[in-house]
Amino acid sequence: MNVRRIAISLFLLFATDFLVAAKACADEALTLGVFAYRPDQVLQERYQPLADYLSQQTGIQIRLEVLNQDNMSRAIAANRLDFFLTNPSHFLLIRSERSLTGVLATLVRRSGESSTASLGGVIITRAGRNDIEHLADLRDKTIASPGVHFLGGYQTQVLELLDAGIDIRRVNLIRFLGTHDRVVRSVLAGDADVGFIRTSILEQLAQTDPDLFTRVKVLNRQRLAGFPYVVSTRLYPEWPLVALPHVNERSVRKIASALFAIEPEDDVALAAGIAGFSPPADYQSVEYLARTLRVPPYDQMPQLTWVDALHQYRLWVFTILVLLMLLVASSLWLARSKRQLAAEQRRLRQLIRGWPQAALLIRGGLFSDTNQASVDLLRYTSSESLIGKDLAVFSPEYQPDGQISRQKLAPMLERVSAGQVEQCEWVLNRSDGKEIWVELTMAPVHTEDEPEALILCSLYDITRRKRAEQRQRLAASVFEYAREAIFITDNHGVVIDANEAYLAITGRPRHRGIGRLPPLPVDEGTGIFASARAQGFWSGEFTSRRNDGEPVALAATLSSVRGDHGEVSHFVGIFSDISRLKEQERKLRVMAHYDALTGMPNRVLFADRLQQAMALTRRQGGKLAVVYIDLDEFKPVNDAFGHEAGDQLLVEVATRMRSELREEDTLARLGGDEFAAIVMNVQDDASLESLLVRLLARVAEPVWVADHSVEVSASIGYTLFPQTGDLDGDQLLRQSDQAMYQAKHQGRNRYVRFSAPSS
Amino acid sequence: MQRREFLGFSIAAGLSAAGLPGCSDSGPLRFGIHPWIGYEPLYLANDFNWLPATVALQPGSSATDSMEGLLSGALDGAALTLDETIRIWSRGLELVVVAVADVSAGADVLMVSAGIDELAALKGRRIAVELNGVSGIMLLKILEVAGLGPNDVIKVDMPVSQHAEAWSRGEVDASVCYEPTASVIESLGGVRLFDSSDVPETIFDVLVVTREAAEKHRRPVSDLVGAHFAGLQHLVRNLHDSVYRVADRQGIDPDEVRSALATVMLPDLAANQRYLTAAGPIESMAGSLSRLMLAEGMIDRDPAIQRLSDASFLPSRVP
Repeated sequence: MNVRRIAISLFLLFATDFLVAAKACADEALTLGVFAYRPDQVLQERYQPLADYLSQQTGIQIRLEVLNQDNMSRAIAANRLDFFLTNPSHFLLIRSERSLTGVLATLVRRSGESSTASLGGVIITRAGRNDIEHLADLRDKTIASPGVHFLGGYQTQVLELLDAGIDIRRVNLIRFLGTHDRVVRSVLAGDADVGFIRTSILEQLAQTDPDLFTRVKVLNRQRLAGFPYVVSTRLYPEWPLVALPHVNERSVRKIASALFAIEPEDDVALAAGIAGFSPPADYQSVEYLARTLRVPPYDQMPQLTWVDALHQYRLWVFTILVLLMLLVASSLWLARSKRQLAAEQRRLRQLIRGWPQAALLIRGGLFSDTNQASVDLLRYTSSESLIGKDLAVFSPEYQPDGQISRQKLAPMLERVSAGQVEQCEWVLNRSDGKEIWVELTMAPVHTEDEPEALILCSLYDITRRKRAEQRQRLAASVFEYAREAIFITDNHGVVIDANEAYLAITGRPRHRGIGRLPPLPVDEGTGIFASARAQGFWSGEFTSRRNDGEPVALAATLSSVRGDHGEVSHFVGIFSDISRLKEQERKLRVMAHYDALTGMPNRVLFADRLQQAMALTRRQGGKLAVVYIDLDEFKPVNDAFGHEAGDQLLVEVATRMRSELREEDTLARLGGDEFAAIVMNVQDDASLESLLVRLLARVAEPVWVADHSVEVSASIGYTLFPQTGDLDGDQLLRQSDQAMYQAKHQGRNRYVRFSAPSS
Repeated sequence: MQRREFLGFSIAAGLSAAGLPGCSDSGPLRFGIHPWIGYEPLYLANDFNWLPATVALQPGSSATDSMEGLLSGALDGAALTLDETIRIWSRGLELVVVAVADVSAGADVLMVSAGIDELAALKGRRIAVELNGVSGIMLLKILEVAGLGPNDVIKVDMPVSQHAEAWSRGEVDASVCYEPTASVIESLGGVRLFDSSDVPETIFDVLVVTREAAEKHRRPVSDLVGAHFAGLQHLVRNLHDSVYRVADRQGIDPDEVRSALATVMLPDLAANQRYLTAAGPIESMAGSLSRLMLAEGMIDRDPAIQRLSDASFLPSRVP
């Protein structure tokens, strides 16, 4: 069973293999496309032997097809070719359009005995063209070239010229003629000034046209030892022979080994003008060329990612980045500084605007900015009223020191502009007409490089302070110049300050006046402080002694001064010297109660004394007598010797009568020659009458007046108190007066007791 | 190829001029160069006008010209091998390596006559060597690898260009040489027993500038290094083109250029970064080479090399 199965399997395997192989051999006819870089028949002639050779060597029928580039591309696109031989540039183009198995071999070209696997470009012109000697002469010349995709016929020259600084694709007229032969013909015919062809073309043409080299001139000829052709450019690898991917690997291997087997001396090589094939060359340099020139397939702008660009231009990118960062950083820094500056300005403005004191900016002598406080200070409604005006506008014509405001202001502004700070007191007129005192400060706020002076002017209202100062000065002057003594004590009553009047009145020098108690009433002493403490003040009059011992009458008021917590902290006292006042008072009192001539009490005092005596007698239960005395014959004395003498007489008589009376008795002159006396404690009638007798006797004694001895007598009436009825003083005096009249009637120089008229 | 044609030069002239100021403030950076495959990128850059006006190449015929120029103050920089750089240091002129142009990877060869099939067999043999050149360094390395002392072999000191003749006369059993001498000796029956690919990262060709130029003229030095890498890129990428240009300048066949390129490593930018780091391959190799050279009497005094390599001039990228 197993054996049978294996046998069948093996049979099937062999059969299949055989069938495939047979089919391959029978069907295999591969097409080799060759690029017609020269006329088709030339290529056909040369490469047919190669196709035949390959057919023969590989047992595969190889058909040769000579195609121009476009047709070859189309044929490849249609898979009609299996191998192709073309120039490297065209190969790159095809490779970019479809994947290939790659290059099988690189053509090695032969020239005579030498060979090369390199090709380059040749730049030719006609031999007679003396105007074209160097690459630089190619500018604006007509150029003939076989085509863009020709490596040696176009691209190598373009690169060489690009290196020399000429981009012929921009500046030159280029005719694309399809083959190298046409290019050479065109140049020789003069249709084109310059022709681009690949290496080996001239040498090949020269085989049939021996004097060709005398008719053409090769430009930019390179000296390359061992290179068999004339060449104008750098070299690149020769043509590749390429297999398309659909060709099976065995065929490819066969073809490749057949290609490498070709020796230079073989007929096939000789026919094709080649030395054989070498292993595939590195076509990187051609790629680089195509990329540099941006020719197909690298004619599209490469998709440059930003990473590539970054890599390519990293120095620039880095520099620009750094610059950008610097720019951004400096912008940020600037913006920040600007913000800070703006904030600073706002803050400054806010500071000035919101500052509770008046502040103004002066530019060029005029207010340029003001704050609300200054507007309020001057009692205006808005800063518009101030801006544009100068300080003198708001000042009275004269300042308190007598200077004219404007004249005083000008030099100040000048000094401030020069950098100084000015400060003074200033009087301003408010809009309501009231004057206010301000402390004016002006300071420069401009920097040195600013052409115009900017001055900050601040006004501080000191009106209240000024008024307080005035009040204080006034108070001080009151204290200083008052006629009254003013003193201040501590809460114990010790004087801590006193004015000049105090020292003058007390007669104390300052060092003895301060630090001691003030003059105090003798009876109360320091008790007045207690009174002042209790009642807030004490006032009174008292007598004190001056420092020199003189008595002095003082009228004083002491007030307590209370501190913050209600406790008495000081006492303030005022007193004045009332000694003179007291003296005058005393004199007036004397004048009212005493007779000016005799010094005896007058009628008023007598009445007063009588009142008192009656009260005393009533209380003690004794008796008193009221005696009325009238001088007899006084008028003749007056008439004879004059009033002077009369007065002398009266004084003498009064003095004698007084001397007869006791201390407690009173003698008064009632007027003219009338006297009255109060005799106290009358024991009995006898003693009274004895007194009356003595009085009469004393009066009757001669008196020496005006150099004369005069004799007068007296008539005396008297009455006693108490009596049965309730009597007043006047009634008593009238009773004694009536009694005196009785005595007059009875013959003068006698005394009569009042006796009530019998009813 | 002529870098190895190193001849003794006037010590007196070198010393007397060592103190002279280098790159003048106004003029371009004067850079000495001589034909060698590793220096070709600079020549290419020069050909394509990729060298700015700040740099002036001063082509010489051999390293001798460059070394004399540096010591006399006529040059501000030069393309030299690392051992040549050490020699100048030992004469009192401080140099800075700003780029590694190439690393020998087979360019320097030990050719031996048939029968010598291992390095140890060199003992007692006559070896042609140019002691004052890179060939001398190569021999030192060979002996080091072979485990032989300096006196275990008989050194026949002669310029490499004469090795083939000496070989043909049978005067030597081995030769430390390089192309094209190596090929000639090979054709005379010589066998390649050892080459510089066996001692990787030993033989460096470097671009050096004076300390003064590196410190005071940074821009021109950067331009120089940038041009080297631009030329290197063309050399590598457009090999189809550059082999012909190199061949033309060196007067040889393009195929010979290809084979010459095969014997050197051309370090790209990344590799240069690695080589030039502080205490990196260049500095450590310079340290060990100078000890070796001092021990061998190739230099008179310890150059006391410090801060030899400077990667700061390398471009960030090649366009």
